[in-house]
Amino acid sequence: MSGAIDDYVASLRRELAFDPALAGRLASEVEDHLRDAAEADPAWPSPEAERRAVERFGLSREIAAQFAIDAVDRHARRTWITLAVTVVVTFIAMRLRVIWLDDDVLSPAPLIDRYAFIAALTVGVIAWFAFRRSLAALAICLGGLVASISAGIVRADLFANGAPVHVLLSAAGEVALVGVLSFHVIGLGRRLRRTAVLRRPGLEREGQ
Amino acid sequence: MLKGHLDAIVLAALEAGPAHGYAIIETIKQRSAGTFDLPEGTVYPALHRLEQAGLLSSAWTTPPNGRRRRVYSLTKAGSAALGERRKAWSRFSQAVDTALEGGRA
Repeated sequence: MSGAIDDYVASLRRELAFDPALAGRLASEVEDHLRDAAEADPAWPSPEAERRAVERFGLSREIAAQFAIDAVDRHARRTWITLAVTVVVTFIAMRLRVIWLDDDVLSPAPLIDRYAFIAALTVGVIAWFAFRRSLAALAICLGGLVASISAGIVRADLFANGAPVHVLLSAAGEVALVGVLSFHVIGLGRRLRRTAVLRRPGLEREGQ
Repeated sequence: MLKGHLDAIVLAALEAGPAHGYAIIETIKQRSAGTFDLPEGTVYPALHRLEQAGLLSSAWTTPPNGRRRRVYSLTKAGSAALGERRKAWSRFSQAVDTALEGGRA
């Protein structure tokens, strides 16, 4: 029959399933902690000493939620850095296309290229100061950049027009970066959902 | 309120030398004479966060007659951060003291 410490460690592993490496490392560390705490209890050795050690440690779901919140913050920081780099590269690529094409900005593609980029930049700057963990703001920025880049590529008709290498390279760079940014935004969404589940009050007792 | 200062308290608990999670909690309890009654597990997310930030380092150690334990140590950046946080806390607590005492004059 497993004791309170074994049950608790198994429960913590389940709650930390979103990060298997962390779950493995923390399970051993927490087990050591709980055994030390139980051995220091006057009732040791007894199931009561184990139970008290587990009680003093706190709910496994709440511990896992704190790790999840920290993971969201780290992921959000990475996503913002990627967004900033993507904005810079997209701007450079857009300017290179403008210089190369020297075309009519009143046609739809250049307008979308320009204003979708401006919209993404504006939302990004506002969100940086006011809603740094906002998935919606990041998704809007991503949408704006995708629209701007797509319009830019359509506008220039890069491959058909025999664009110079620097224009092609900058376009490839912005496409690659927007791909990485999409990956980060989707990952952040997943982390936020998992954190919300861990913090749902009605589920607190399940973690113990 | 304590949670906002937990990172600094953990850094201070490691100032005297490397320690494992259980010893850190015991140090915090002793220093606060039982005033800080956080769930013991709360210290682990803080340790992990501080390690990720480069303020702590950790390694598994096995004493001759004991269990394998992960031991945490302050890094140089951790010592500097502790100094900064002490100064910030000192300024903040003086300001609160002044604000609270002001009404009595």
